[in-house]
This record gives sequence, C-alpha cells and structure tokens, in this order.
Amino acid sequence: MTFHRFSTHFLATLAAGMLVLSPSARASGDHPGGHGHGHDAAIGSPGKKAEVTRTVTVTMGDNFFEPESVTVKAGETVRFVIKNGGDFLHEFNIGSPAMHAAHQKEMAAMVEHGLLTPTEMRTEMPHMDHSKMSGAMPAMKHDDPNSVLVKPGETRELIWKFAATTGLEFACNVPGHYEAGMVGPLKLDH
Amino acid sequence: MKPAIKFGAGMAVGAIALLGVAGTAHAAEYALTVDKVVIDAGTFKKEGIGYNGASPGPVLRFREGEDVTIKVTNNLDEDTSVHWHGLIVPTAQDGVPEISYDGIKPGQTFTYRFPVKQSGTYWFHSHSGFQEPDGAYGAIVIEPKKREPFRYDRDYVVQLTDKHSHSGARIMRNFKMKPDYYNRQQQTLGDFIDDAKKMGLGAAVDDRMGWGDMRMMAADVEDLQGFVPLINGKSASQNWTGLFKAGERVRLRFINSSAMTYFDIRIPGLPMTVVSADGNNVQPVKVDEFRIAVAETYDVIVRPDEDKAYTIFARSMGRSAFGRATLAPREGMEAPVPEPGRRPLLTMADMGMSHGDMPGMNHAAMDHGASASVDHSTMDHSKMDHSASGHAASAPSAMGVMDHAAMGHGVPAKTSRHADRFYAPGSGIAPVAANGGKFLSYADLKAQKPLYDHRSAGREIELRLTGNMERYVWSVNGVKYADADPIRLRYGERVRFKFVNETMMSHPMHLHGMWSILDTGAGKWNPVKHTISVAPGTTVFMETEVDAPGQWAFHCHLSYHAAAGMFRKIVVEGGPKTSSAFTPEKEG
Repeated sequence: MTFHRFSTHFLATLAAGMLVLSPSARASGDHPGGHGHGHDAAIGSPGKKAEVTRTVTVTMGDNFFEPESVTVKAGETVRFVIKNGGDFLHEFNIGSPAMHAAHQKEMAAMVEHGLLTPTEMRTEMPHMDHSKMSGAMPAMKHDDPNSVLVKPGETRELIWKFAATTGLEFACNVPGHYEAGMVGPLKLDH
Repeated sequence: MKPAIKFGAGMAVGAIALLGVAGTAHAAEYALTVDKVVIDAGTFKKEGIGYNGASPGPVLRFREGEDVTIKVTNNLDEDTSVHWHGLIVPTAQDGVPEISYDGIKPGQTFTYRFPVKQSGTYWFHSHSGFQEPDGAYGAIVIEPKKREPFRYDRDYVVQLTDKHSHSGARIMRNFKMKPDYYNRQQQTLGDFIDDAKKMGLGAAVDDRMGWGDMRMMAADVEDLQGFVPLINGKSASQNWTGLFKAGERVRLRFINSSAMTYFDIRIPGLPMTVVSADGNNVQPVKVDEFRIAVAETYDVIVRPDEDKAYTIFARSMGRSAFGRATLAPREGMEAPVPEPGRRPLLTMADMGMSHGDMPGMNHAAMDHGASASVDHSTMDHSKMDHSASGHAASAPSAMGVMDHAAMGHGVPAKTSRHADRFYAPGSGIAPVAANGGKFLSYADLKAQKPLYDHRSAGREIELRLTGNMERYVWSVNGVKYADADPIRLRYGERVRFKFVNETMMSHPMHLHGMWSILDTGAGKWNPVKHTISVAPGTTVFMETEVDAPGQWAFHCHLSYHAAAGMFRKIVVEGGPKTSSAFTPEKEG
C-alpha cells in the first residue's frame, strides 16, 4: 500500500517548522525577527479598526495584484480589502523581501505536504495515520496578522499600522507567484 | 427639409472602412524567403538552408486574434515547405508535403493564410527532406490578447540547435550503413576491463552479450554525436548575450530546434521559474534545471539581481557537447562555464526490465551501480519476449504511469520518493540537478488555464514505439510509415493515446493540428502540449480532443527517426469541410 512514511527526523523538523507557525508559539510584543511572522516593530503592527484612516482595495488575479504598488505614510493605519478575482488561492502578505523569501520556503513545504493546494488551504495533512505517530503535533495554521490567504471569489481584510520603514512589499508567497511578479512595493510617503 | 447626403466615392470608402474596422480582426502580412546560406558554427562553416538569408530564420511576431498572411518564396533548387510547429491551423496551412499540400516548388511563392487563435512561444521549420537539420528553422512569438499571468521587463528567444558538419542527407546515409557511426561514446576496451574488475569477468562478458542479444548498444543515450550546439545561431565561443539591468525580470523563451539532441539547461546562480510549456501557460514552478526535448519549448522567468554576467548552460543529455550563452549587464562579459558532468549510461531499467515479471530474473541483483556482483547466470534471454513486454500485465494506476511501489516487487535502491515518474525506476538518464536542487519533471507541469473541459476519453489507442538500432529502423507498432495504414479518428471524440517505449531512446512525439493533453495525474490541470517525450522503458498517456478536420502528421521529432519510419498519418473523419482542404491524388 502506498503511504507516506515519515522518518522521525523528518517529523521533528516538520514539527519545529509548524511550531513557528502555530499561534501558541507567538510571543506578543517583542518577537525575534527573521522568520517573517509580522511582529517585528520595524514592519509595523496589526492595526485597530477604530484607528483606520484609509481603505485600500486590492484585487488579486492569476498571478498579479491590482494596483501594482501602494503608497503609505508612517504611523497611518490602513484597512486593506483584498478581493480574489482569480481562479487560484493567493496570499496578501506585508513584509520585507527577506521575510517573503523565508515565507516562500514555508509555503513550499506546506504544498509538498498537501496542506496547501492551488485553490485552498487544508488544516490536516492527507494520508496521515495519526495512530502511528507519537507526540502531539500542533495544527498548521496561516493566521499571522500581516498576511491573509484568500480563496478564489473570496474577500478578506487586513488592517495594518505602518512604521517608518522603507523597502517593504506586499506579496503573494504561494510557490512561484512572487517570481512570476505577484509582488508590489509599499512606498513610504513622508 | 431633407438633408442632402452626398454618397460620393470618398464617403462610400469611409463607410466601408468603418465597417471593416468594426468587423474584421487585425490582418498582418509577412514574407519569408527560403535560401541557401552559410552557417558558421565556430569550428566549421557549412552550407545550409535558412530564411531571409540566415539560419536561424527571423523571429516571426504575431498577435493573438489576427489573421496572418505569410508569403513564402522558395529560392532553392529543390522543393521546400514550412510547418508552423505548435500552431493550430487549418489542415491545408500546416505545411507537410503529401499531407497538407504538394510543398513549395523551386521559384514558387506559396501564400499561407490562417487565423491566430493562441499566444506564446512556438517555432517554424521545413518539413521537406533534411532541410531542418540543415538550418531551416526560426521562432514564432505570439503576443496575447489578455494580460499574462506573469510580469517581466525583458524578453528573449533562446533557440537551440545541434549543428553537424555533415549534411542531414549524409547523416541519414551513414546511419543506414552503420547505425553506430556517430556514437563515439561507445564503451571501450578500457571500460570493459574496469567492469570486469568490479563485476567479475564472467558477469562483465554476460553484460556485454546481454546488451548485444537485445540488439542495443549500451552507451546509446545519443545516437548522433559530433555536433556543435548553437544558441540563437551562435556557438559557445561566439557567445550569444542577452542584456539586463540588475533586478529586472527577464523572460527567456527556450526553443529546442535540434534534429536529435535533448539539452539539460541551467543558469548557475539563477533559479528559473517555468511559466509556459509548449506555448501554454503553466502554474509557475521554480526550478534549478530543466531538460528540453527536441521540438519542445519552455518559457522561464529569471531575476538576475547582481550587476554581473550569468552563463546559460545547455549540456546535451548524453553529455557529449554543450551550448553556452550569457545574460549580462553589458556586452562582452562572461561568467564561468561549468563542466558538462559525468556521461550517463543507460541501465537495464531503461530496457523495461523493472516492469512486470520476467522468468528467471533476479531483480534484487540488477543494481549495476552496486559493488556486489551481478548474477547474470539466472537471466534466460531466450525467454524474453520483448515484443510483449510486461506492460500489459500490470494495471496502470490512475496516473497513467506505473506505480512500482504498488506492484509488489522491489523498487531499485536508487529511486526515492522524489524520483521522476517519467523515467524508468533505476534509469541511467533520470535527470538530477547539477547543484543538488530541483530538476523539472513533467509531473510538475499543471495548466494555468485548461483549454478543454475535463472529460473521459472514449477509447484508447496504443502506440508502441519500436525500432531496431542495428538496422537503423524506427517504427510504430513494429511497422514503418511507408507500410502503415493511417490512424483514423472521429471528429468530436476524445481519444487517449498510450505510448509504450520499447526502445532504448527517448522519443519526442509530436501530433500536428491538435493538442496533446499529457496525463501527469493532475486531472483537469493536466498540461496541454504539442510534443511529448517518452523515456526508454516507460509508458506515457496523453489525450486529444479531436477538433480539427482533415489529415495530420504524427511522428517522433528526432529527424532521422521520423525519416526512418517513426511516423503516422492521422485522418480525422467527419467535421466541417474546409474549402481549402487538400485532397491527395492517391490515398495512402
């Protein structure tokens, strides 16, 4: 019978990777950067609805964003309304190019393990026989405040308070999409 | 008072012109001449055939939605033809002598007219004699009507060929006389002595005799060697260069216009994102290296982010030669050129030995890479019926390619969970990325936007790819083209083709006029191609929606295999009659 047999080493690596993504692993406030989970004060912070001063509508297509760039001010809280007009799952993720590169690796791993398909995200790995595995495995989620996954036809929101950081981009880190050009600059307006 | 309308000549023309613009598509006219040219391959110059005075010919640029008119003037003293590879055109415009038309006579101008209903990267070439290997090829770039699912700042055609110092006709004569004439990499006495040390003398002799019995020569990855790879008409030392500014996205349209050679392509330091295959967009997939079969195209996006040169490295699948081009911020720059790497040797797995149950075979002992001696004494060659290779015995999985783990017999040690399903497990030519990264597999190709609704095929047609290397005969189902009946299809059906490769070579199978939907197990996302490579000892499935009336060529695109008989005519019965359909004088 065909059955993915995961070695324990592999499971440990995967569990470590998933731990980083799970909500229980997140510390609030100061959070060491480098794995792109959006709590680094340098890229800004999740915004409060009451402080929203502007709404920007972003439309996702296969594989691009409309508009191709967005201008923001330091300290402003922007509400992004993200509509997916394409046929495929896309991400809207605010971060630096390095954060996006790291997140692309995570998403590629999710695709490889059947957690991310071209049209949706699953919460369970297909074909896994949990009875054969020891130890608890945290559920893989994708719910960082600096990013949303939007299914075809769906609309989701992301509220973000920008800091005085240049060089940030909004990007889709589904494998291949960033390379195909699904990324745009968040230009800082002084 | 009635207004006086002067319906003078000016107004009439104006009115008609207005109607014209509203009603018709953009119409464009192109002209090609077919000429004798001199091809400079660096180490030699050779008279050959080109278009508009050069080889490769020009890049023809069309727009999706336009009606094109292409006037082709034959300046040779022999017949010629032009086939638009990958374009869906009416049968009479497809450019295959004796199937589409009579060809283009010396001095004649033939006018092609067809609507362009697709976009992407394609190519064109002569379908007469050996004119294509002699230089008669060019590129086609079709601009899409709608926005593409990828962005880029620069765009280059990167067209490869395998230029030989012998003419195509001479190469064919030599193959017929001595099929291993160009196979310089045959194993030598030195190799035999090394094998004898590793395997034991008896086993080494048996191995040679085993190969001999099967009428194959062990090193046959490429049957044509001694060519010079050219990229956009330039050899490695002539170094075709594409310019970029650091940080730009560059689209590279790779086209393999070789007669016989597959290339493994990489750009050291630059990953490539594959966005199109055979002109159709695929869901983007990032790779470090890919193999391009004869007649295929792949479009990739790269983003060189340093102000330095990068080498586009194309090594032939058999590693006998390599092509080199450069991406650079300025002309005259070069980057280091890698080594071509170890030359691959075909294994018993490529002969189909891993499939099915053959009497007396000890599969566990077959791993030739292992240091343990191989027990050939249990192999009874007389019991091996290669015309009935065990492919029928095992039920193909839904994916259409054999799932060896499910078969109950061992999978050779070399394969892993990530082995390419489109090569025999334990194959000697299964590609591995030189930098240890990702090598593109057909399994990675998924249509970005399927061209057809997904439905089941009504019937399956099996095509065994057969041949006898020792007499240089290549055929389908054991029958060469001249002796074969046409394959008859019904307009409106969906037919499933099963390619069973009973030979030691990879064959790029090309169906004219209709798309080949390759079964990679992705269901409705199966990629839509025009050329499908079938590796030795494998079975590959593809499906076709029969939506093009008329008759069509269907053949292995290795030039000398097609000429030797690995070719069929497809006749589509039914469907709308086109006024310009070609009626042959005699039915084949």
